[in-house]
Amino acid sequence: MENYENLYPVDDELQKFIDYRKRTGSIWRGVFLMSLFVAILVLIVLMLNIINDAFGLVAVENEIDPHSLVIDYQENTMVNMPNTLVSADHGDLANGIIDNDSAIGFIGHAHYQANADELRLIAVDGQFPTAETVADGSYPFVRPLYIYTALDTLQSEPAVAEYFRFYLENANLVVGEMGYFPADETLVADQISLINKLAGSPQTADSVTGDLALSGSSSLYPLSRQMLVDFRQAGFNGDIGIEQIGSTAGIEAFCAGDIQVLNASRPMTAAEASACQRNRINPVEIAVGLDALAVVSNPSLDFLESVSWNELSLIFTAMNFWDEIDPSYPALPIVRSVPSAGSGSLNFLSARIFSDIALENLPTAAYADIIRDKLGRGRGRALERDQRFLADGFIFDSESAFTTACASDEPPTGCSLGARDRDNLFDVIEQEIIVPQVQETWPLYDSLFKQQEIVNRASAKYPDAIVEFKSWLNRDFLFNPQSSEAELAGVRTAIWGTVMVVATTFLFSFPVGVGAAIYMEEYADQTLWYNKIIQTNISNLAGVPSIIYGMLGLTVFVRLLLPLTSGQFFGRVAEGTDPSGRTVISAGLTLGLLILPIIIINAQEALRAVPNSMRRAGMGLGATKWQTTWSHVLPQALPGILTGTILAMSRAVGETAPLIVVGASTVIRTDPTFFSRFTVLPIQIFQWTSRPQAEFQNLAAAAIIVLLIILLTLNASAVILRNRYSTSN
Amino acid sequence: MSSQNGSTSYAVQAKDVNVYYGDFRAVKNINLDIEKNKITAFIGPSGCGKSTLLRAFNRMNDLIPISHMNGEIIYRGKNLYDDDVDPVEVRRRIGMVFQKPNPFPKSIYENIAWGARINGYKGDMDQLVEESLRSAAIWDEVKDKLDQSGLSLSGGQQQRLCIARTIAVKPEIILMDEPCSALDPIATLKIEELMRQLQEQYTIIIVTHNMQQAARSSDFTAFLNMDTEDRSGYMVEFSETSEMFTNPQNQQTEEYITGRFG
Amino acid sequence: MAGEIMISSPTHDIEGAEDVALSLRKKTKWHETLIQGTLVACGILSVFTTIGIVIILLNESISFFTREVFEITNKSIATDIGSADTTFETTASGSTLEVGQIVRIDEELMQITAVDGLSITVDRGIDGTEIGSHAADEEIEKSVRVPFREVFTGSRWQPRLQQFGMWPLILSTLMISVISMIVALPLGLASAIYLSEYASDRTRSIIKPILEVLAGIPTVVYGYFALTFMTPFLERAFFGDNIQVFNTLSAGIVVGVLIIPLVSSMSEDALHAVPQSLRNASYGLGATKLETALRVVLPAALSGVTAAFVVAISRAIGETMVVAVAAGAGPRNFEWSQVFTNFGRTPFNPLQSAETMTGHIVRISGGDLSYNSIDYNSIFAIGLVLFLITLTLNIVSRRIVERFREVYD
Repeated sequence: MENYENLYPVDDELQKFIDYRKRTGSIWRGVFLMSLFVAILVLIVLMLNIINDAFGLVAVENEIDPHSLVIDYQENTMVNMPNTLVSADHGDLANGIIDNDSAIGFIGHAHYQANADELRLIAVDGQFPTAETVADGSYPFVRPLYIYTALDTLQSEPAVAEYFRFYLENANLVVGEMGYFPADETLVADQISLINKLAGSPQTADSVTGDLALSGSSSLYPLSRQMLVDFRQAGFNGDIGIEQIGSTAGIEAFCAGDIQVLNASRPMTAAEASACQRNRINPVEIAVGLDALAVVSNPSLDFLESVSWNELSLIFTAMNFWDEIDPSYPALPIVRSVPSAGSGSLNFLSARIFSDIALENLPTAAYADIIRDKLGRGRGRALERDQRFLADGFIFDSESAFTTACASDEPPTGCSLGARDRDNLFDVIEQEIIVPQVQETWPLYDSLFKQQEIVNRASAKYPDAIVEFKSWLNRDFLFNPQSSEAELAGVRTAIWGTVMVVATTFLFSFPVGVGAAIYMEEYADQTLWYNKIIQTNISNLAGVPSIIYGMLGLTVFVRLLLPLTSGQFFGRVAEGTDPSGRTVISAGLTLGLLILPIIIINAQEALRAVPNSMRRAGMGLGATKWQTTWSHVLPQALPGILTGTILAMSRAVGETAPLIVVGASTVIRTDPTFFSRFTVLPIQIFQWTSRPQAEFQNLAAAAIIVLLIILLTLNASAVILRNRYSTSN
Repeated sequence: MSSQNGSTSYAVQAKDVNVYYGDFRAVKNINLDIEKNKITAFIGPSGCGKSTLLRAFNRMNDLIPISHMNGEIIYRGKNLYDDDVDPVEVRRRIGMVFQKPNPFPKSIYENIAWGARINGYKGDMDQLVEESLRSAAIWDEVKDKLDQSGLSLSGGQQQRLCIARTIAVKPEIILMDEPCSALDPIATLKIEELMRQLQEQYTIIIVTHNMQQAARSSDFTAFLNMDTEDRSGYMVEFSETSEMFTNPQNQQTEEYITGRFG
Repeated sequence: MAGEIMISSPTHDIEGAEDVALSLRKKTKWHETLIQGTLVACGILSVFTTIGIVIILLNESISFFTREVFEITNKSIATDIGSADTTFETTASGSTLEVGQIVRIDEELMQITAVDGLSITVDRGIDGTEIGSHAADEEIEKSVRVPFREVFTGSRWQPRLQQFGMWPLILSTLMISVISMIVALPLGLASAIYLSEYASDRTRSIIKPILEVLAGIPTVVYGYFALTFMTPFLERAFFGDNIQVFNTLSAGIVVGVLIIPLVSSMSEDALHAVPQSLRNASYGLGATKLETALRVVLPAALSGVTAAFVVAISRAIGETMVVAVAAGAGPRNFEWSQVFTNFGRTPFNPLQSAETMTGHIVRISGGDLSYNSIDYNSIFAIGLVLFLITLTLNIVSRRIVERFREVYD
């Protein structure tokens, strides 16, 4: 026997052998651990990937800026109020106020100064326009004044260049007495050297030839006119002329090439500048001073000292008598003087006064007005036939045409539906007028770490787009229906679809599944061949691919049981329309069959866990089998059965393939009923994932988060139930 | 792994051994010298820590995550619980036979050969299998069905197969944890005969419930009892078997072997 | 009070005894029977489900295989024919016509009763089709059955173009399954070994819920993951432009990932069921943890592990949404000869798009599918093949567990 001992490794050899085995052991242990880690890593990457796509920067281009709708609406309201004098000429406005005892209005500060003894200056939010409040920005209605000319004009007409130089050198000397406020001295110097650079060195007023024709802003009119007069006195001998048509109209005419020198009380917008460029006009912009718009009233309104923002808004857009603003005021009618719609002054004012008002805050009537103003007639009529905008009238359609349409064989839905509510009108504005369109999206990681780069690139690529951080998962996403515009799409209909399908599934599979389990556990003799077949069959069903259930559902529920599943049998299908079996009911029943084996197997386990003593106790008291089962066994097994059922439900919530086969639709915009076509969250995810555009991937990610939260809630409730159950026993 | 240290007649010694499961001390202050080529029996009432102590001799307790121990087990002059000692090699040198027969679900041949193979055996495997099975007195019963599953044998045969499996890796000491408790009397007798034969080459430590078995087949006996206060096991008496069963030194020992408790 | 009760109780006793005597007779309890009947019906519903699946798959598949499809003959009628003509001339071109064949001219079906050179005699208006007059040069189409043999040998699947070879779909399914098994089996088994043999209770209590979460994520989410993460990752890290946006590799890997929890949990159950005494025996012989795990525990649990693998394969074959999203739309048709000459164009190339059986069913049924079209019937034929494959695998798995389960004790 000793010789065998020597056949095992000894001493050094043994040491090496053991080291080798231990090394192999730890290497493999590492391999096993890494394998496990892969699974965890995948879970982490999967979640991060979803989060990465569900949040991030987007570049959205609106066809119309929603705030401009608000401003437009408010301007419209202002100029259409009763007792309101509207004019582009501030002199007229001042006269209107002077002439009426209860009048109030906006005029340029220069115009106020010219009539200071006949007008009463009112503070805005406690601030009067003074040199200090204007310079430090605490007086709100201050704007820079500009003169513009085309670069070509500046270089080819020495009179213009010389007039600009003269203007810059002299304006600050006279603005104070005229009611304007001076431009910044450094800015003036810079602009003079810019003109020198563009148009050559200065000459004298008497040496230049040519004529000068100014037009545009009424606010700037007094100053520009004064400068023309002074220029003429300095020796200029060409013809001079000046008109006041308002800034907006002026800019339009300037960009059309009709104006030599433009007066403007606001800078050109990007859109206006590009309109100029299209006409090969290269505008040169020169800031010449600051203008304050003054709120002034007739001196007899001596109770007014200062007005708040809110009071301004009320006075000019809502109320008709002074005592409606404040009961202590006299019951006089409010008479208003407001700059006309084409003027820069009105734009400027309304942008300030209404800056805090969002589209969401406007009254419902405003929505109808906006729709009337901005929506095309044809589209408007079509939408109005779908559902009326107004309860008591029509915006686009005519009463008679609508009645005729309703009397036809296929009346439009608008005949039976009530008028659109506020939310619906808002949706119409958003989808038909604003039309936000996602131009490009960036994932969260890039948005956080390459933000500047993205913003720069985006503003170059999409000059009109707003680049903002967007959580694709937001309130609107949860409450909006599906839409083909990524920016407007939501999952409300899908969530409803999921809820209703799963409710149907539950109502069908829970009683049937538990019934089958009770039969198998409490009644059936498990040794009999047919019961064995049922049991084997249940386990085999659990392994059938879910898509096969879809085909079963398509044949049985959608086609065979069409009268039932379409609701035709219950009178739920409108006369003359084809019944469709691709309904919530069909989907719910299909999923019910799919999870039935899972529910049965889980319920069987729960029933098996109930100790036999329970059954004997019940039977011993003379109860029948069913009485024992119902009052002793089932209550005991219920938490286990429910846990299993909840887990089966979460399987149903996530199922996709069978529902595609059964015929879930993807574009469902109205909330489903049991007999309507439907969509569910996973279908929505599938459809969005299949779209090539990046923004739909973002939507899919957000929808996945919603789906996972629902599943997590379901699973957590199952775990809580399981824990409570296991601790109570 | 360790050099032959002197000519001591002890196969293995326990010095101040305490074994804990978590906070609970299962056995305490054990000092025990096991003589070479003798059979030493551990007896005592249930829960007194006999098996725990036995498993301390080949570090099987390491496999129970919450257990730890202090004290020393001296084997060939080296403490088995030193940091540089590998439990894997310890278990090869100090083999173990378990309470319930636990052959691998492999063929009888593989049951024997597997242990040898993983331990780097380089000789003729067939020969080793035969020798081991012969030594375990089971060769004649299984020689024609070496490729059948070890699980196909009867309980007693399975246990002898397990003993054969243990001696195939050439240990010096064999620990037997109530090897006959799951067997019928005839099978028990066969195992006891086998132990006597194996004694020539191996040192055997056996845990048993059965006092007759201890009296019949062991050279030395250790009696362990459970401390009534902290419920940990301690050694009451250790002496030659004949001495203990005829002339116990301790009152408790006497009460136990005469069947008054346990 | 007590006295009164004492007095009155004897009479009650006697009446009660009579009741007991009566109720001992066996009575039919209608409501109990009704309840039991309902419960039995619930149990039997599952059998009907299976029968239903088999019947509808067979039924529609039979419609598929017996379906007449019209093939262009490149032959047309030579002269105008009126609604009363039964014999007319055909052009010389195209394939020959035989007696008994059904032909279609415009919308009208006719059965040929005699052929005389280029002149044919027909029964007009077969199958209730409307008899009409047809102008010369009208195309003659002849009817053919879906060729059974082609379905199981052909390498092109385009039912509308009379191409019925199912192999492109089967091979793509096979590719996805193989790739996913390469991922899922080693990783799942290794995870199971770690969890069962190495991990502490604490680790296990953390890891197992994570695996359960992985298993509970809907497959469409994995599809999203395959498309938006795995494919770009493979493209950037390994293949560059060689990999298509839709490809079987990415889908296969993700299907594998999705199956890991299944393999891991079933295998772990099997490993866990191996009795501790076997591990002790192994350690007692001086085996290391690895030797014990790989050479004692794993072989002892082999039947359970194998069953897990078989179920995993079945699951991979039936998996739908990942392939529908990420593997591509349109069968990867090929020629058998390409397998040797232009391997890259066959479904065996994992870097290009391909459509599996399940992916095809989803895509076809996702559109506005009209019942009774060839496409509608064809998906049921595919479904039948799919059902048979997965059913066989599931039964095999169960058999393995039952047949090879080791009995300890």
